Amino acid sequence: MSAAATAGVVRSPRRDWTALVDALAPFAVALIVGAILLAATGRNPFDVYGLMAREGFGGAGRLEATLTAATPILFTAIATAVSFRAGIFNVGVEGVFYLGGMAGAVVGFTLTSFPSPLLIVVELAAGALIGGLWLAAPALLRARLQVDEVVSTLMLNFIAANLTLYLVNGPFLAPGSANSATPMIVEAGWLPRIAPPSTLTLGFVIALILLALYALWDRLTPLGFEARLNGLNPRFSRAIGIDAPRLILKVMILSGAIGGLAGSAHALGVTHRFVVGFSPGYGWTGLAVALMGRNSAVGMLIGAIVFGALDSAGTTVQLFSDIPLEIVDVLQGVVTIFAVVRFGRLRGRRSAR
Amino acid sequence: MIDYVLAAAALLTTPLLLTAIGGLINRLGGIVNLGLEAMMLTGAYVALAMSSATQSWLVALLAALAAGGAVGLLFSLAVTRLEANEIVAGVGLNVATAGLIGFILKDYYHSSGTIRLPDVVMLPRIVLPGVAQIPIAGAILSGKDPLTWLSWALVPITAFVLSRTRAGLRLRAAGAAREAATALGLRPLAIRDASTIVAGALAGLAGAQLSIGVVGVFSVGMSGGRAFIALAAFYFGRNRPGLTAVGAALFGLFDAIQIYLQGRGVAPELMQMLPYIVVLVVLTAIGVGERKRRLLQGV
Repeated sequence: MSAAATAGVVRSPRRDWTALVDALAPFAVALIVGAILLAATGRNPFDVYGLMAREGFGGAGRLEATLTAATPILFTAIATAVSFRAGIFNVGVEGVFYLGGMAGAVVGFTLTSFPSPLLIVVELAAGALIGGLWLAAPALLRARLQVDEVVSTLMLNFIAANLTLYLVNGPFLAPGSANSATPMIVEAGWLPRIAPPSTLTLGFVIALILLALYALWDRLTPLGFEARLNGLNPRFSRAIGIDAPRLILKVMILSGAIGGLAGSAHALGVTHRFVVGFSPGYGWTGLAVALMGRNSAVGMLIGAIVFGALDSAGTTVQLFSDIPLEIVDVLQGVVTIFAVVRFGRLRGRRSAR
Repeated sequence: MIDYVLAAAALLTTPLLLTAIGGLINRLGGIVNLGLEAMMLTGAYVALAMSSATQSWLVALLAALAAGGAVGLLFSLAVTRLEANEIVAGVGLNVATAGLIGFILKDYYHSSGTIRLPDVVMLPRIVLPGVAQIPIAGAILSGKDPLTWLSWALVPITAFVLSRTRAGLRLRAAGAAREAATALGLRPLAIRDASTIVAGALAGLAGAQLSIGVVGVFSVGMSGGRAFIALAAFYFGRNRPGLTAVGAALFGLFDAIQIYLQGRGVAPELMQMLPYIVVLVVLTAIGVGERKRRLLQGV
C-alpha cells in the first residue's frame, strides 16, 4: 500500500495558481457542504459562518482561545511532518499524544516536592521520552523487517489508547473520582499562562519555537536534508550512501518525541491531569494539517489556527444558538477528506484517460 | 458459561466478518479503507430508521446496504478521481459522518446520542430445531440472524470469486498493477470504485446487524471502532478470505470473553488491545520469515 498511501506526502511546492486552488479547495468544499446542511435544517449559512468567524477571531479573548485550541494541533502537525518529510507515512502521533499526556500527568502528581521549573521540565521530558521510545518500535520493524509503518503505527494507536484507558481506570485512577481521571497535577507543574487572565499558556510558545526549529531542521541540518532526499527519492538517497534504516529510526524517534511532548504539554497546560477522551483526535487533525500545509512551517501554522478557530468557535456557538456542535465535526471532517485533493488536475487527467 | 460466551462470540463476529471481507476486497482492489467505520455507522442508523418506517427488516437491510455503498462510492471518488490521500480521507470521512449523524440526531430527534424509534422490527433469529439442544454447536449455530449466515456464506464465495473468476482477476489486477490493467483495456479506477461500493455495502450491513440485529436502538458511538478491528482481521488474514474469517472469529471471541469477564477482575481495556497486538505479532513473524528466506537465497 505504501505507494498509494504515501501519495501526496512528499510533494514539492508548486507556486502557481493550481497550487493555490488545491490549498484552498478543502476549505471551500467544507463550507459548501456545511452550508447545504445548515440550509437544509432551516438556518442561514452566512449568519452561522459569520457568528463562527466572530467567535473564532473577534477580539483578543476569542483569538487567545483559538490559539489555545490550535496549540495541540500545531504540535501534532510538526510531529507528523518530521516523518512525512522522510517519506515515512507515520500515523502513530495520535497514540503517542495519549502516552505523553499520561506520562506528564503521572510525573506531575507524583513528584510533588519538585520546584516548579524543574518539575515542568521533567514532565515534558517524560512525555517526549515515552513518545520517542514508542515510535522506535515501528521504525525498527520498518527498517529491519519491512513491516508497513502505516499498519504498525495504526495498530499501536489503538494499543496506546487502550493502555492509557486501562491506567486511568486502574492503577492511576484518582481516589474518590467519579469520572475516569488521574489525580490533579500539582500547581507547580502546570504550564504558566503567558499573559493572565488569558488562557494562553507557555505551551503555545513552545509549539512556536518547535515550529521554527522544524523549519531550520528542514532547510539547514544534514538530517533534515537526508530526510527530504529520502522522501523525494529513496533509491537515489540509497545510491549516494544515506543509511535509510538509521534515518528512519532517527526520524521516527524525533516524531514520537514531539508527539509525546505534545501530549504532556496538553496535560500540563490545559487538562491538568489525564482524563478519558484526552485526545479528540489531535493526532489525526495534525496529520491532516501537515498534509494540507505540504509539510511547510507556514502552511502548518495557518492550518492549525483554522482548525483551532473551528474548535473554539464551535463550543461557544452551541452555547449561544441552537446549532449543534457537530457542525464543527462535519466541517473539519470534510476539510480532512479533501486535504490533499488535486482539483487543478481534474481536466487534464480526464482527457488523458 | 462456554455456551454463553460462544453464542455471544458468534453474534459479535458477524459485523467484524462482513466488514473485514469488504475491506479485503477493497484492499485487493488497491484501496486501504479506513472509512469503513463511517459506512458501518451509516448502515446502523439507516437500518433502524427504515425498520421503524416500513416495519420490514428486509427493506431495512437493503436500505443499509445501499446507504453504505453510497458512502463508499463518495469516498472512492475522492480517492480515485481527486487523488485524496486514502488514509487521511478515511479518517476525515469517519469524523464528518459521525458529525453529520450526530447533527441529525440533535436537530431532528432532539437526542444527544441515542435514539429509540417506535415499531422497529428486529432481524429474525433462525432457531435450528434439533441443533439448538446440542451443546456448543447449538450455541454457535442456532438462534442467529440471517446476516450471520450471510457473512459465513460470503467467505467461500469471496475466495472463489477472487481466485477463479474473471471479475476476481480483474480486481486483483487493478490493485496490484494499475498500468498493466490499463494496458489490457481495463478501467482500474472504475474497478476500484466498484470494490469500494462493495466494501461500503457490506459495512452498511454490518451496521444494520448492530442496530436491528442485537439491541434495537441507535447511538453515535455504536460502531465503536469495530471497522478497525475488522481491518486488523484482514491484515491478520493476509488478504485470504479463509484466514480473515479466522481472524474475525478470534477477535469476536476476544470481545465475548471480555464482556463475560467484565466485573470479574480482568480489565476490559487490556482485552481490547489483543486484536491489535496479534496483528503486530503476525506482521513481525512474517517479516522475520521473509528476512530468513532472503538470507537463505543470498539476495
